[in-house]
Amino acid sequence: MQHKIEHGPAFSWLRVTLERGESIRAEAGAMVMRSTQVEMETHLNAGYKPGIFQLMWAFLVALLRKLFGGETMFLNDFSTQAAQAEVVLAPALAGDILHKRMNAGQKLFVQAGGYLASSGSLNAQLRFGGLRTLFGGEGLVLLECTGEGDLFVNSYGGITPVEVRGSLTVDTGHIVAFDGSLDFKVGSVGGLKSLFLSGEGLVCRFFGQGTVYVQSRNLESLASWISPMLPG
Amino acid sequence: MKFELQYRPSHALATVHLAPGETLRAEASSLVSMTRNLQVQTSFRGRAGSGILGSLKRGFLGGESFFTNTFTAVGQGGHVSLAPKLCGDMVVHELTPPEELFIQGSSYVAAPDSVALDTEWQGMKSFLSGESLFFLRAYGAGPVLLNAFGAIQPIDLDGELILDTGHLVAFTGGIQYEITKASRGWIDSFLSGEGFVLRVWGRGKLYVQTRNPQEYGRSLGKRLPARQA
Repeated sequence: MQHKIEHGPAFSWLRVTLERGESIRAEAGAMVMRSTQVEMETHLNAGYKPGIFQLMWAFLVALLRKLFGGETMFLNDFSTQAAQAEVVLAPALAGDILHKRMNAGQKLFVQAGGYLASSGSLNAQLRFGGLRTLFGGEGLVLLECTGEGDLFVNSYGGITPVEVRGSLTVDTGHIVAFDGSLDFKVGSVGGLKSLFLSGEGLVCRFFGQGTVYVQSRNLESLASWISPMLPG
Repeated sequence: MKFELQYRPSHALATVHLAPGETLRAEASSLVSMTRNLQVQTSFRGRAGSGILGSLKRGFLGGESFFTNTFTAVGQGGHVSLAPKLCGDMVVHELTPPEELFIQGSSYVAAPDSVALDTEWQGMKSFLSGESLFFLRAYGAGPVLLNAFGAIQPIDLDGELILDTGHLVAFTGGIQYEITKASRGWIDSFLSGEGFVLRVWGRGKLYVQTRNPQEYGRSLGKRLPARQA
């Protein structure tokens, strides 16, 4: 499998060349175009080779995510039996795409709306304990990505990788993804007063060694800027 | 007539240089600036003879404005700058007869008088799909200015391709198309989030945009307060 990220950073798309028997999995609705030799199959996001229990759990989680996070419940698998065929994928928002080659034992946390595509045995599941943050409005809803393969994450705005040595504080709306090796805690930037007056929402404090991928724009900020300008 | 494109691909601006007497027709509301010697005429009609009905048809079906502004350079040369509503790139396609260009309604920006425009009815199927697939058919000789949401990828097609309807900008007449479901089954097509797609085949040029305005709108829209009834 070969891939190319083009037209970045404002309007990146992902061009994937599949060879016979290879496949890539993508968020529902992400397809721009594909060769006619590429087959598409739709299924529930239940992880890599799920059992019946995982399927039921996935359905419940997917329903909740659909209700609270507006995420789609389904993934599309693209594969080919031709010698070579192409599929092009793009996220919905203006922004860039991050590629991460994942090895067995590695873990990456991804902001829930950030998943674009993955290959191999990669698993992108709602983080256990993530349900709690689901009800917190602006809280951090995370996907836990584990397994082996290529992972593609989309952002709103440009992506800057920031090395954490010690600690780092990032606005939750600017987080794209971060290494599983980091410890993190969600809170307000100062006291209760600063939560309402500083204009900063919730922040995430990272501790340890690892990389945080930060996006240069915040979707919630855009939404709250536009909202008062809508008629009605 | 000379086209100059700046600030690509995010916020493209097109400046069209007109020789004395030259005329450019542009979508209403696309004007940014112009020299003083340009005469502007706002009209209903897209081309000679099509009249009000023709422009209504284009407006309703083609997704573009009912009005067209005609810019004519009087006395000396001049220039006019045009910009689309959304963030994205622009491209100039040079039409030579007998080639035709089929343009997704909202992607058309401007063309000289030597290029004629017509609306193509895509049949009931496209109407039902909710993808509002109405193409403007451009023919004649001259440049056609197009805009896109996101960056533009020109493709020299020689074969076959499946394309999401929301990513199509324009294609030349040698390319044929068919509206079809995204997967083999109806349920899968619906769940896949792709709905209806285009199967395009043949030989010609295809312009694809890297973002889908509908999807962008939906992504942002669900974070906005509900519209009051």
